[in-house]
Amino acid sequence: MTILLRNGLIFDGEKLGEKAKDVLIEGGKIQKVGETQPQRGMENHTYDLDGKIVCPGFIDLHVHLRDPGQEWREDIPSGALAAAAGGFSTVVAMPNTDPPIDCASLVQYVMNRGMSSQGARVLPAGTVTKGRSGERLAELAKMAAAGAVFFTDDGSPVWKSGLLHKALLYTRNLGVRIMEHPEDLDLSRGAQVNWGYSSSRSGLKGSPVSSEVSDIHRGIHLSEETGSPVHFTHVSSKKGIEAVRLAKRQGLSVTADVTCHHLVLDESAVVDSRYDSLFKVNPPLRSSTDRDALWEGICDGTVDAIITDHAPYHSDEKDVPFQEAPFGIASLECAVAAVLTEWNNRGKPCPLERMLYLWTAGPARLLPKKWSNLGKIREGGPADITVLDPGIEKTVDPSLWRSKAKMTPWKGRTFANWPIMTIVEGRIVFGETE
Amino acid sequence: MEWKHRSLIDLDTWSREEIEYLLENAKNMEDLLDRPIKKVPALRGKLVVNLFYEPSTRTRVSFELAEKFLSADVVNWSVSGSSSVKGETLRDTAWTLESMGADAVVIRHGAVGSAAYLKNKLKRSAVFNGGDGTHAHPTQALLDIYTAWKRLGHLDGKKMTIIGDIQHSRVARSNMIGFKTMGANVVLSGPPTLLPPDLESFGAVYEANPFEAVKEADIVYLLRIQKERQDEGLFPSLDEYFLTYGADERLIKAAAKEALIMHPGPVNRRVEIESAVADGPQSAILAQVRSGVAVRMALLYLCLGGAGKE
Repeated sequence: MTILLRNGLIFDGEKLGEKAKDVLIEGGKIQKVGETQPQRGMENHTYDLDGKIVCPGFIDLHVHLRDPGQEWREDIPSGALAAAAGGFSTVVAMPNTDPPIDCASLVQYVMNRGMSSQGARVLPAGTVTKGRSGERLAELAKMAAAGAVFFTDDGSPVWKSGLLHKALLYTRNLGVRIMEHPEDLDLSRGAQVNWGYSSSRSGLKGSPVSSEVSDIHRGIHLSEETGSPVHFTHVSSKKGIEAVRLAKRQGLSVTADVTCHHLVLDESAVVDSRYDSLFKVNPPLRSSTDRDALWEGICDGTVDAIITDHAPYHSDEKDVPFQEAPFGIASLECAVAAVLTEWNNRGKPCPLERMLYLWTAGPARLLPKKWSNLGKIREGGPADITVLDPGIEKTVDPSLWRSKAKMTPWKGRTFANWPIMTIVEGRIVFGETE
Repeated sequence: MEWKHRSLIDLDTWSREEIEYLLENAKNMEDLLDRPIKKVPALRGKLVVNLFYEPSTRTRVSFELAEKFLSADVVNWSVSGSSSVKGETLRDTAWTLESMGADAVVIRHGAVGSAAYLKNKLKRSAVFNGGDGTHAHPTQALLDIYTAWKRLGHLDGKKMTIIGDIQHSRVARSNMIGFKTMGANVVLSGPPTLLPPDLESFGAVYEANPFEAVKEADIVYLLRIQKERQDEGLFPSLDEYFLTYGADERLIKAAAKEALIMHPGPVNRRVEIESAVADGPQSAILAQVRSGVAVRMALLYLCLGGAGKE
């Protein structure tokens, strides 16, 4: 199929162009960026994108698609559609499923089920440890060969330091990064909220920032010593950002992402809602100072990617008192608009380019070499495209979501700056086409 | 005064004027307790359900007496163990109660936020928080305020010292909010492991040394120490706790001469308080129990019998 995107402003993964251009897509590839006259027969697939921004397809490095084993919450087809509707052309599925994605055949399962789905490209992450038990290494080389793009025990840290040391050494030649969920489990045992304002107001056990920071420091030292890169996911605190910033300044191969909800919300939402389970998430929503620091990390280059950490649940599981509810926020279908609205409300603390980078070239750099052509718009490159409409305002209505999750703290909130079209390898997987 | 509350989840939504109005009402109710016939028809025909997920004797009995003295129909619905063990969610229970025609539900539940959650799920019934996990116990705070207010005349500028497990105490939390609203100064003491990390939003200050903390205090409030906190390693032993923070006669001497000694009960003797203090002349512990019935009568009367709107 041939698609012509006309008159959009092009963000190529690094820079936002000043002049409108056309993008011609053919055979799943970007054929041409520049001026193109529509040819006969293309009328049905020509879109005038005047005032819109044409970006490389957005990448979300961290989603929970619950498949296999928890399909009542989400599955790969529903999650892939939800991702596409949120403007993502590629998502990385976390391996904390049931069973966990801890061997090559399960990696293959996620790939295959992703390929037969209609929405975004689904790339699998494999566990670091067999059974995600934190006890011994999973078959990392076989999973890498099968297509795993990260190794992570997400949901838990690799808490045995000796094992993380071995995992980092062992993966050094595999070209697949380790993504650490930074949390010292002894410090956060029983925690439901942030240790600070919300734990004080509620009496609930709090997870102190030190739980996150001490694990980040441990990971940095192990990465330095083993010469293997490490990626910290959902960094939520000022101290955590500072630790990553310092490591980067020292030239270490350390990267980090932050979630949409930690950028938009803080722990006052937990208290003000009188402990509504919608705001229960791990790591917990932290202080407004921490939230400000995440934005500083975005502006100064400490942060490499923005993720959703999309964590869908059935309403029956989430619609219970705070203390009894599971951790997690569903957000794939509004995360981009939520974050860009917050960016706007904060007086645009960085150029729009920087924000877009964190959904495109930023995360693409962290994927294995095979995917290094994602995250940019280049002639001859894969036609993964996200079209952003800065003019559009919408109120979040989860009853219309493709995701199986219908309970979300974003319900009823009005955001601007929505993705209106998502293209994966030349196929339009989401589009509000006039 | 036009009474706007129909439910009570926590005291942070109540103004000083509202608390004072309730206190005045409670006084009338307490007079009623001395009459030979302790019953008024204020809530005749109203159905109040006491929904208790945690074992509680004094709060449940206190509410039940208050309801009966006001002539409400009373149903006690006790759920042993957690709701998930029972198999019915709080949401389903809420809707069941409403379908049965409950005008009000008093809920005691182990989960923080459960009273607010119940209120969100109920369209018609009023909800009274009888304690939601570690979060809030507003009727305890009201009865404590009433007890102190009656004895001291007013609470403006009075010093209240709370000693014990502040972090896990719904009583401490609601009292910090309520006494502060009434103009008192709140000082906390106890092991730092049992202290909330952020006291600023409560407007309370911490004093490590209990002798300093109670100096000139008009009210010394002791909290119940739960054995499980020792098991969690938050302090090494009950004996060490008593020797460091327990209220003995020596400690009470450091407070103001006529200082009130208060405790929400049930008392752990020789853990947070020794018998000579608990049973001594300054102890208001039994007065608190009596206040509880009067205050809960006033609350139910204002919210259900009066012109409660919210």
